[in-house]
Amino acid sequence: MKDISQSINKVDNDEKISGKAKYVADIKMEGMLHALTLRATIAKGEIVEIIYPKLPEGYFVVDYKDIPGKNIVKVIFDDMPIFTTGKITYLHEPIALLIGPDKFLVNELLKQVKVTYKEEKPLFDWVDSVIHYEFKKGEGFKPKKGDIIIEKSYETSYQEQLYIETQGMIGYMEDNEKITLVGSIQCPYYVKNALVQALDVEDKLVRVIQATVGGAFGGKEEFPSLIACQLAVAVKKIKKPIRLIYEREEDILSTTKRHPSKTTLKALMRNDKIISLAVKVGLDGGANIGLSGVVLSRALIASSGAYTIDNLDVQGDVFRTNTVPNGAFRGFGAPQMMFAIEMFVDHVAKKIGKDPFKFRVEHLAKQGDYTSTMGLYRDPILLEDMINKAMEVSDYKTKRKLFDQKDSYKGIGMSIFFHGCGFTGSGEKNHIKAKVKLKKQGDSVEILIAAVDMGQGVKTSFRKLVAHILDIEIERVIFNNPDTDYVSDSGPTVASRTMMIVGGIVARCAKEMKERFSEENFIVEKVYEQPSYIEFDEATFTGDAYPAYSWGVNVVEVEVDPVTYQVKLHKTWSVYDVGKAIDERMVYGQADGGLAQGLAYGYLEVMNHKDGKIMQKNMTDYIIPTAMDMPPMETYLFDNPYAYGPYGAKGVGELSLVGGAPAVAKAIEQAIKRQVYKIPVTPEYIMELVNNGKD
Amino acid sequence: MVNAYVPKTLEDCLKLLNEFDLKIVAGGTDVLIQNRAPSQLAIGYKKDVCYILQIEELKKIYEDDQYIYIGSAVSLEEIMDSMIVPEILRNTILEMASPAIRHTATLAGNIANASPAGDSLVTLYLLDAEIEIRSMNNLRRMKVSDFITGVRKIELAKDELISKIIIPKFEFDQAYFKKVGPRLSDAISKVAFAGAYIVEGKKIKDFRVSFGAVNVTVVRADELEQKIISRTVKDIKKMKETIVSWYEKAINPIDDQRSNKAYRKVVALNLLREFIENLNL
Repeated sequence: MKDISQSINKVDNDEKISGKAKYVADIKMEGMLHALTLRATIAKGEIVEIIYPKLPEGYFVVDYKDIPGKNIVKVIFDDMPIFTTGKITYLHEPIALLIGPDKFLVNELLKQVKVTYKEEKPLFDWVDSVIHYEFKKGEGFKPKKGDIIIEKSYETSYQEQLYIETQGMIGYMEDNEKITLVGSIQCPYYVKNALVQALDVEDKLVRVIQATVGGAFGGKEEFPSLIACQLAVAVKKIKKPIRLIYEREEDILSTTKRHPSKTTLKALMRNDKIISLAVKVGLDGGANIGLSGVVLSRALIASSGAYTIDNLDVQGDVFRTNTVPNGAFRGFGAPQMMFAIEMFVDHVAKKIGKDPFKFRVEHLAKQGDYTSTMGLYRDPILLEDMINKAMEVSDYKTKRKLFDQKDSYKGIGMSIFFHGCGFTGSGEKNHIKAKVKLKKQGDSVEILIAAVDMGQGVKTSFRKLVAHILDIEIERVIFNNPDTDYVSDSGPTVASRTMMIVGGIVARCAKEMKERFSEENFIVEKVYEQPSYIEFDEATFTGDAYPAYSWGVNVVEVEVDPVTYQVKLHKTWSVYDVGKAIDERMVYGQADGGLAQGLAYGYLEVMNHKDGKIMQKNMTDYIIPTAMDMPPMETYLFDNPYAYGPYGAKGVGELSLVGGAPAVAKAIEQAIKRQVYKIPVTPEYIMELVNNGKD
Repeated sequence: MVNAYVPKTLEDCLKLLNEFDLKIVAGGTDVLIQNRAPSQLAIGYKKDVCYILQIEELKKIYEDDQYIYIGSAVSLEEIMDSMIVPEILRNTILEMASPAIRHTATLAGNIANASPAGDSLVTLYLLDAEIEIRSMNNLRRMKVSDFITGVRKIELAKDELISKIIIPKFEFDQAYFKKVGPRLSDAISKVAFAGAYIVEGKKIKDFRVSFGAVNVTVVRADELEQKIISRTVKDIKKMKETIVSWYEKAINPIDDQRSNKAYRKVVALNLLREFIENLNL
């Protein structure tokens, strides 16, 4: 049999390239109405009065008064209203939907709505801590008299997912009672559960179907539940199909982004080693908490990076501010932390006069070490071999020396990092409880799971996985877009969990099916079984935070223009351990795309707010890289099978984003002979460093 | 609802402009964005429009002894591909927007849009480019730098149309355009620079520099250039910082969502320094 890693064409190539694939905007229904959102024009205050224009027949306003159930979007922390009841906590907060058959007229009516507010002073400083976590490892941070302590602070700013398809959904009613939503979503059951709560109806009266998704990157994890609830309430009231699709600017201004962060790290040094590390992380949660606590815990767990440090004192806060709520984004807290810790280890080494590379290698995590939360790195860690490979292919040592010369504006940087696969802690076991069904019907086999193909290739990799185990042609394996009336709740399509966790269960189903394959029609159903040795206490942050870890090394070579301070990327070399690639080319695709997004987070993508208003509100001003900006990327994969992943597969999706920012920042540091403390490292920041910074 | 006119001849076009108050649209790459409406709705034009891309008379590039003439309906892509257009202008266009936009956008549109960050303007100012303006009863010609009077402000009457861009022929020893954008393609400039010179003997015979995105319109200072011309290259290099300080006063950028004042100023002056350092005998 062929090695599973051998690449095949993606199964949806044809429908996507030909334009046949149906995105939300391609779906048109008889009698469909259009919804537009009325939004707050202040960052904080109370609505005093709303005066709507006289609505023609067939036009409607839908607001909080129409919600049959709870006026809360069910996420993880339930504090986001579906529609405001009058209290405004951020600019562009949704107030109501205006709905009608002619979108032009709906838009005109929207412009005529007059809202008066009683404004209050908005809060933008990070002072209102709404979540605080802390934990210690070993003896924490206890300096003795005369100990050397090195302290540095790091900042990261917003990042916008910028999926090419904006948020969108269609809702309609079936049989005069059942409400169905078709949407661009990552998590069909998150949406379904939110709808059940908002409508206060029985489970079976709500149905969620995934349309083809034009990119998500975490941006369609929890946010779509908000518009789904709004739309469902509207459908319940009006009883007609309604479509709600965001404009690009509306999407950027009002949807969740990566949390800006500030991290302070303190190292306690003895014998040129970090004996203890004190970590303090602050995240800007925006106006609602939502997923921020989970983002924070992932950041805190990653606080010692790919290194083992025996003593830790880790603290973190989510601050509420009157800004657009922040949420899920590929990497989920890890990119912020990996940037801080990766810069810090180099800065500490330089401070004590040690070679940063040697210093880092001396601290590398090894199999059998305790993790930051006193879990165990049970599986082999191949970092040293991976680093050697990256150094060899990039000629790292020679270049590092060469670029150190005074007039060289070139630099080469290396990041070493990991990503915890699957939900943090006991999330999989206690909260998600993934269920999977595999159905045999005659000659074909159907995969019934809630995993969403948002471009990453789930439809291909899962069909391939099942076909490979059953040893049948891939054409005989069916995988339709998830529809909650048919598929089991296998959990959300997030957290680098889909292949490792859901794929693991699917593989177990397929193995059982293989034994019974002579039977005509039957279903195999299985649930997630956490490896028995994995235990995590969420209250104290103790135990194994993840069942497995994926590892990576990125090397980036850059050149900085001394006249304009612009950064040119020359080349990247990456080595990843994702256990086992279920399809090599798809992993390379994730590797290139993730790294581009990670590099851009590090040097290119500028987003900030002024008085709560996002300043880069369209694709002209929010700069993501083009093909011209990205250099050739070389990627190498190391097999390191994980016992519970299908064929040994671990997480892929987020890993490749996590190391990009520190790698490019380090390369820029060498090119300009200055230390970098925040990302993105823009030409403006480089100019400041060159003119004022210290080496 | 608005009316749209699509004249096929210049004469028809000028008649329409004489009769109605129309928004002139060529490639539309700025106008459509400025008048954008929610998806699936008609473009949000605020008045009737006149599409000029079908007027054959406006779609030619030709030359005589002194000038190169570019019709106002010629696309940037066609200009970029024309061998009679000066290399510096072709290189400037290559740095503008994306292939799709260059396929339909026009040089006349970039002039009429009069954005402080319009890349082609930097080079057109440098080349002393002129435009021909027509109306039913009049034909006039003026320098691009006189035509643009401020941010999105131009000297065009409602019955007038830019019909040609006219570029004087020069043989520079060196002439280049440098764009400083936030990324390498499809981006609006943070700063743009163009410079050109002619050396005769050891002396500078012609020296010109222009800057984009650092003031309300392109900065080109004739009086400063006159102070530099006829000095020796050696002298000019020696007085580099003095020259930079002259220009410093004319460079008055702003803070916005794309960059900041300090960066724009420093980089503009760095580009000037680099230009002076690279003057060759």
